[in-house]
Amino acid sequence: MSFRTTFSAGAFALLATSSIATAAGVSPLDIVKPVADYKIFVSEKLEKLVADTKSFTDAVKAGDLKKAKALYAPTRVNYETIEPVAELFSDLDKSIDSRADDHEKREKDPDFIGFHRIEYGLFSQNSTEGLAPIADKLMTDVTDLNKRVKDLTFPPDKVVGGAAALMEEVAATKISGEEDRYSHTDLFDFKGNVDGAKKIYDLVRPLIVKDDGKFVAKVDANFATVEKTLAKYKTADGYESYDKLTEDDRKVLAAAVNTLAEDLSTLRGKLGLS
Amino acid sequence: MKQSDTIKESFVTDRRRLLLGVGAAGGAIAAGLTSAQAAGNAGAEQVTDAPVSNKMQERQPFHGEHQAGIVTPRPAAGMIVTFDVLAQTPRDVEQLFRTLTDRIKFLMAGGTPPAFDPKLPPSDSGILGPIVPPDNLTITVSLGDSFFAKRDWLAPLKPVRLSRMTGFPNDALDPALCHGDISLQICANTPDATIHALRDILKNTPDLMVVRWKQEGSVPVLPPKADGSHESARNFLGFRDGSANPDARDAALMDRVVWVRDGGEEPGWARHGTYQAVRIIRNFVERWDRTPLNEQQAIFGRHKATGAPLDGKVESDTPNYAADPEGKVTPLDAHIRLANPRTKGSEENLILRRPFNYSNGVSKSGQLEQGLLFIVYQADLEKGFITVQKRLKDEPLAEYLKPIGGGYFFTLPGVTNEDDFLGRSLLQAAGQIASGKKS
Repeated sequence: MSFRTTFSAGAFALLATSSIATAAGVSPLDIVKPVADYKIFVSEKLEKLVADTKSFTDAVKAGDLKKAKALYAPTRVNYETIEPVAELFSDLDKSIDSRADDHEKREKDPDFIGFHRIEYGLFSQNSTEGLAPIADKLMTDVTDLNKRVKDLTFPPDKVVGGAAALMEEVAATKISGEEDRYSHTDLFDFKGNVDGAKKIYDLVRPLIVKDDGKFVAKVDANFATVEKTLAKYKTADGYESYDKLTEDDRKVLAAAVNTLAEDLSTLRGKLGLS
Repeated sequence: MKQSDTIKESFVTDRRRLLLGVGAAGGAIAAGLTSAQAAGNAGAEQVTDAPVSNKMQERQPFHGEHQAGIVTPRPAAGMIVTFDVLAQTPRDVEQLFRTLTDRIKFLMAGGTPPAFDPKLPPSDSGILGPIVPPDNLTITVSLGDSFFAKRDWLAPLKPVRLSRMTGFPNDALDPALCHGDISLQICANTPDATIHALRDILKNTPDLMVVRWKQEGSVPVLPPKADGSHESARNFLGFRDGSANPDARDAALMDRVVWVRDGGEEPGWARHGTYQAVRIIRNFVERWDRTPLNEQQAIFGRHKATGAPLDGKVESDTPNYAADPEGKVTPLDAHIRLANPRTKGSEENLILRRPFNYSNGVSKSGQLEQGLLFIVYQADLEKGFITVQKRLKDEPLAEYLKPIGGGYFFTLPGVTNEDDFLGRSLLQAAGQIASGKKS
């Protein structure tokens, strides 16, 4: 647990001043390399997403329920890791990753497709019946996403802001276990989101470590807390079911994630991005 | 901040003069909450103009022997929010207490939050505008049984009556609405001020605690009476609530009923603290509204319109149960008679009620989810709330109630000066135990 600065009005003012100084210390050119590196990272994840989705959807279409169930979480974790980029294409994000809550008729809604619709079929209905067209559409969408991202110029503010966006995603839907409600494989997604945020943070970390050592130490410590806690639930081929997460560990994760969300929300500003 | 306060005050004074000039809408004005319409003569106002209040600069003192928000007259908006606390070590717990102290001090005083570089998230949510008005805010900090139980170094210092709330026979407690390591009671003239305060505290303590549950409530506002007298507010069953409350202006009485004093069984650090019992009590209001008036009055033991006891004329009348031993006027199982039998012995069971009404949407059956956010303070939890509640177990009112949540907490002593902070006496006592062990 990290030690928090006392936020008296006076300390607030001091913090503000030091943040301004930090932001001024980073030139826009300094961001170019981290953003380029991030694009490579995203491309690799997307290649893997396309390949894994192929195996996953093939299993669904072949009616191999056991294999499809086993591949569900490890396939979508690639998507979760690069979610801030994937979300730039809202039409694809909706067709690939929307949840039943996003649709008026919930599970019965014909617009409810993508990973979670297949998850519902596999884990809740325990069947691959009727899933083939949804599997085909998912494969098409994932391939399309990969192509669109290849042509995309990565906006630095979106990249850096993605670290905080991923933690907001965890804070809002992963802490509660509502993301993968049929399969209870939330801890895979959780890890994917956290890894995605940490990748971005690690790429820009050298730019702020000198001027803002205290901030970096605090963020490092909270990432370490999340990783240490998640590691307790690691299994041979992934993660335990979300319902195995103890109440105490859920609280530890919630606090670390909320703190990362607060701290990473200042990352763009610290790098002089708006 | 000083200068802007002056500007604000003069604005408020002008506004008040203006409003008093309008006159006809006197009730609403003196209650402090006035619609934009009430000030309509000042010129045409737009539909989205903010409703105005002349009470935004009301301030409760932060420093004192006792925390604010207990004997403080209850404003219109209240909230209980409880947290699970991550801070484990003495250092982190002190950090939490100091952070809470700093934030509460600022929020209760009001003022201008620091301006950050606009590339960063702002320091304040801004929902009350660029200058935070105090709006009569109080935030009262209390600790649950689990706060002590989960920290070995604090366990020996737990207040002797503090326990984890257990269900009473009529309860249907939802685990998601019960207990907590810390409770904050946040009260203000408007719900916006309580929400603003909560968001400020969340933003400043993310690594130290996480929200467990929250319940907001309100108190219906009344016009002032011509003779300057006051009456108790009504609950969602339409009855006056708190008529027999001990007089919170009577310091000697509060010392006896509410505050932990020296010389008892309680640890020394707890002096000037108090026990807080919170209950979320759902009312079956549709069914209540379908109950004959006579029966409603017999169930409560009071006249609905006036609040007077069934053998009295006005709310402040004291019922004479000795003259009615068989319960012919006030049934023996009437709520007020069971809760406070007015015997010599029942004096030691007095409690200070400070409840709010809540309304949360509808149940799956389409019935209104509303009731009482019941909050009481007492120097002895066993002799106070727990004893009173046991007496109420077979009351007819129970058919219309379903307690679904809450918890027991110990409210920390007040912060007496600029060098002091919430929980200081507790941490000092823990430090003395630790150094005693070492030597």
